[in-house]
Amino acid sequence: MRRYVIKRLAQAVGVLWAAYTVSFLVLDYLPGDPVTAMAGAGMDSGQVDPKQIAALRHEYGFDKPVVVQYAEYLGRAARGDFGDAVSTGRPVTSTLADALPQTLQLTGAALLLAVVLGGGLAVLATYTAQRWLRQLLLSLPPLGVSVPTFWVGLLLVETFSFRLHWFPAFGNDGPKGLVLPALTLAVPTGAQVAQVLAKSLLTALDQAYVETARAKGADRWRVHLRHALRNASLPALTVVGLLVGQLIAGSVVVETVFSRDGLGRVTAAAVTAQDIPLVQGVVVFGALIFVTTNLVIDLVYPLLDPRVVVASDRRAALA
Amino acid sequence: MTALPDVRSTPWAALTALVTTSVLLTACGSSGTDPGSGTGQPRSGGTLTFAVGSDAGCVDPQQVASNETIYSVRQIVDSLTDQDPKTGKIVPWLAKSWDVSSDATTFTFRLRSGVTFSDGSKLTAQVVKDNFDAVPRLGALGTLAEGYLSGVKSTTVVDPLTVKVTFKQPNAQFLQATSTHSLGIESSASVKKTPQQKCSDGVTGSGPFVLKQYVQNQSLTLAKRTGYAWGSSLWTKQGEAYLDKLVFKVVPEAGVRAGSLQSGQVDAISSVGRANEAALKGGQVTLQRRANPGIVFGLGLNNSRPALKDARVRQAILYAIDRKQVADTVFPTGTQPATSVLAHTTPDYTSLAPDLTSDAARAKSLLEAAGWKPGSDGIRTKDGKKLGLTIDWVPNAATNQPALELIQQQLKAVGIQVSLRQLQITQLAPTLQSGDYDAAWGNITRADPDILRSSFSTKLANLYRLPTSSLDTALAAQAATTDTAKRKQLIAQAQRLIVHNAYYVPVVELQTQLGVSKRVHALNFDASSRLQLHDTWIG
Amino acid sequence: MSQSLVDDPAEAAPGLERPVEASRGPDPGRRVDVRRLLRFVVRRPGLLLSVVVLVLVVLASFRPGLFASQDPLRGVPSQNFRGPSGSHWFGTDELGRDVFSRVVHGAQLSLKATLIAVLVAFVVGGLLGVVAGFVGRWVDDVLMRFVDVLLAIPALFMSLALVTALGYGTVKVAVAVGIASVAAFARVARAEVLRVRQAVFVEASRASGARWYSVLGRHVLPNAAGPVIVLATLDFGSSILAVSALSFLGYGAPPPAPEWGTLISDGRNYLANAWWLTALPGLAIAATVLATNRIARALDGEWSRQR
Repeated sequence: MRRYVIKRLAQAVGVLWAAYTVSFLVLDYLPGDPVTAMAGAGMDSGQVDPKQIAALRHEYGFDKPVVVQYAEYLGRAARGDFGDAVSTGRPVTSTLADALPQTLQLTGAALLLAVVLGGGLAVLATYTAQRWLRQLLLSLPPLGVSVPTFWVGLLLVETFSFRLHWFPAFGNDGPKGLVLPALTLAVPTGAQVAQVLAKSLLTALDQAYVETARAKGADRWRVHLRHALRNASLPALTVVGLLVGQLIAGSVVVETVFSRDGLGRVTAAAVTAQDIPLVQGVVVFGALIFVTTNLVIDLVYPLLDPRVVVASDRRAALA
Repeated sequence: MTALPDVRSTPWAALTALVTTSVLLTACGSSGTDPGSGTGQPRSGGTLTFAVGSDAGCVDPQQVASNETIYSVRQIVDSLTDQDPKTGKIVPWLAKSWDVSSDATTFTFRLRSGVTFSDGSKLTAQVVKDNFDAVPRLGALGTLAEGYLSGVKSTTVVDPLTVKVTFKQPNAQFLQATSTHSLGIESSASVKKTPQQKCSDGVTGSGPFVLKQYVQNQSLTLAKRTGYAWGSSLWTKQGEAYLDKLVFKVVPEAGVRAGSLQSGQVDAISSVGRANEAALKGGQVTLQRRANPGIVFGLGLNNSRPALKDARVRQAILYAIDRKQVADTVFPTGTQPATSVLAHTTPDYTSLAPDLTSDAARAKSLLEAAGWKPGSDGIRTKDGKKLGLTIDWVPNAATNQPALELIQQQLKAVGIQVSLRQLQITQLAPTLQSGDYDAAWGNITRADPDILRSSFSTKLANLYRLPTSSLDTALAAQAATTDTAKRKQLIAQAQRLIVHNAYYVPVVELQTQLGVSKRVHALNFDASSRLQLHDTWIG
Repeated sequence: MSQSLVDDPAEAAPGLERPVEASRGPDPGRRVDVRRLLRFVVRRPGLLLSVVVLVLVVLASFRPGLFASQDPLRGVPSQNFRGPSGSHWFGTDELGRDVFSRVVHGAQLSLKATLIAVLVAFVVGGLLGVVAGFVGRWVDDVLMRFVDVLLAIPALFMSLALVTALGYGTVKVAVAVGIASVAAFARVARAEVLRVRQAVFVEASRASGARWYSVLGRHVLPNAAGPVIVLATLDFGSSILAVSALSFLGYGAPPPAPEWGTLISDGRNYLANAWWLTALPGLAIAATVLATNRIARALDGEWSRQR
């Protein structure tokens, strides 16, 4: 077990390092001259004179060979320092840290909604004996993954804020302001949860132990929840890592739609301002969230189901 | 006595505002209902939530030039003087009195005693000197303030509460300039910071509100300054402000702003376009309007571009645009199509309406004469080159994009292909300075016709890359004369030269329009159509 | 979604012997196949509707004039903000332009972007997967670790980073979206290549001294293509969403280009007074994505299971 944990940790660090490298290649290396972009986008950009560009170039280390730049940046990034955001002059790390709580609230609420609604839908759809109801319920998840999130958000604003005045249309004010954005963000995620869970529930219901339980005369609902759902939710757990990454990224659109403060809006602003250090920080942060979630799931999984140590090793490589 | 810079497109004004001679601010007729005349007794307390459309990315009043941000940061600082929005008269604020030498080169201000900044330090003549000495070093964003002080010889401390500012040449506009936010007085500690630090961290002022929190592009929160007792002589309430807190939220979409005002989520919103008027009218909302003087919204052409060097091409653009259609489709009710390069509320404005008609046939024949023949796709070409125009614009008002799309359609109808390039607010100034643009969309609010010289004299920034001409002579002469009749004549001549040569393509006048909940009282425009929130209360 | 595909390939690509069959000349069973296909589709009204929607959208993107006679870029300003009606199915916008016409013409831009995105993902991802699977050894290890890393960065963040580097515009957005979904293609392509490579006839062909490229071209690629194409169909739907999200955020073509995402984003300014400006273009996106996803599902499972 200890070896497994250490190996997974090493793997996670490796992925993070590589994610940083990819973002470095894309952002710092790909554009011909990030400095000109910065000088244009920065606050102190009144006169874009050659001297200023040279100074910026020096400050950001662009006058050095790429390999040296990379090594320096990586060294700093390993200590959690991604430099200063060009558009605000504030450190990237603290900019992200300040924005994070709002986004965690949003994504947390959305994940909860997604699991409850999506899971509920899957359970109900597989439980019901009514063919039409099952059909109807099972047709919802494909719909959920097909609608653009920003559109759903705008429709909700239009209906529940402007017409009915039930919830605020924008901003971070209190739990009421969280309802519409979280619901919006939960739609595609919930649909995916429903799809995965329904599939594994159906598989589980075919299993021998379910038959056995039924034969023993157990209540149908009880069989469904106690036996089938329990076994079906373990595989569903493995997609949570993927979903959390999606939720964090989805906050870019949802926070823009609802003019909410948070990581997503910081990201959108950073892209618009071509704020390279900030965008890089966001990309690596996204990878960090994904890797951490998967790590936690992989470490918790064997505790829930001791049989799968070996299997989860394989799955870890897949994730 | 004027010079009222106030701006929609930030850096334009920042790059222009300069010295003027004195003229009273006659302009700024206001319409719409005044919620200040509402019922009930004013009461203290409460939070005003104000949704604005954009953020200039800076919280230093001396550097900000964009209305939507001035609304908030203005409240942090006091100025030496204030200007009566009704009469244009300059009245006491931090300075209880002043003397101006007869040649308008020396200004002596006697400060009020007992004024403190929110960091506890006292207002003294030395602090004012520190401010004025630091202004010329503000850099690109601060050129508005720098312009007011251009030609300054020295600022001297006469005694702890008396300060004297001396200019090399007559500079009568300076008195009015001291009433603007750009020359708002900051504490000595703030003045010592770099312009960038002041922008991102904010400044310490002596104003009725104190900056509590600023999140770029998201929100700005101000809290009431307790113990405030040195308000402008124009304000009705003595002492502290009524409101406890001001929260400015950045909500870029006009539709979301309007909906949130209707649903009561916010108390006031900025830049209400025509589209949302109907929805807002009749509810618990009043629309407040105020016409802005200065250079009208239009296309600032880069006159050095090969195609645009030809006056006939520029004139064709001028005639191809249907100003009335733009004003009636996009802008708030009551917005007037441009009838000169200056808005009708600017002193010495001359109506050139007959020269600013919409005449597509004439535009076509001008282009024809200039050698631009229609191609197969309807776009004109000459020597194998298409007649294309890229218009740069910044998203600081919801009306910009639809107005430009309409202009794009109108120009296409005569065979000119327009592409729209959206810039960040902070990118516009460097772009104009670099000269790498065809045309830029914007306006400059200022209640003095000297803005023409700032914008069009080839001796100054000359952002539109004009050739030297008799326009320079007229602009220089109007600045030098003290004879009002003669000045009026020179300004009229300058306006005619600009319009006839189509150096600039005037389109519509700016009219500020706010949506304000009926709960909010006395949310007042100041002399430059920005806000004074000290007297504002919620009931 | 791609994971279920990795599990399914055995059912999805059943024709291991097909190349042999094909070399016999014209396929006598083709006519029968068409009839079976028709029967398959007609029995599923949802699928039929999806096919119709997709055909209409594709037609609109090539010949917008067939559906909308009004100019998408020119309107009658005095007739702005008219609600949906007989003469303007989707109403008019702030400048009096016909929104339906804009949506139809927007299909061209949005589908073009989507096609580019899928193509980039298909070609780059497919190439990575095929090389990894076919060459094997350390090359496989390196490429697949790289793909793992791409998977660790949320797709939208990856696209946004690319947009930051490349700049704005329909094509750039498309490339950014395409690269962000390279990883899934690489995985599926590799899995397929590995599976096919071990098939008896491929082993035999190699043993008989065929050149590697002929083995690859004649046996491996044709047989591995099925699931990758299914994935491409699935990716089509998610790419439409990703492309329109990026253009919604303002990174697409400049105005007045009627990209689907841009239409909705512009409509936000008038949310309070003209609901149709956001609601109806969104409906077009949703319908298209729903249709492609339905078709992908049919290709993925139902069709092969039905055999």
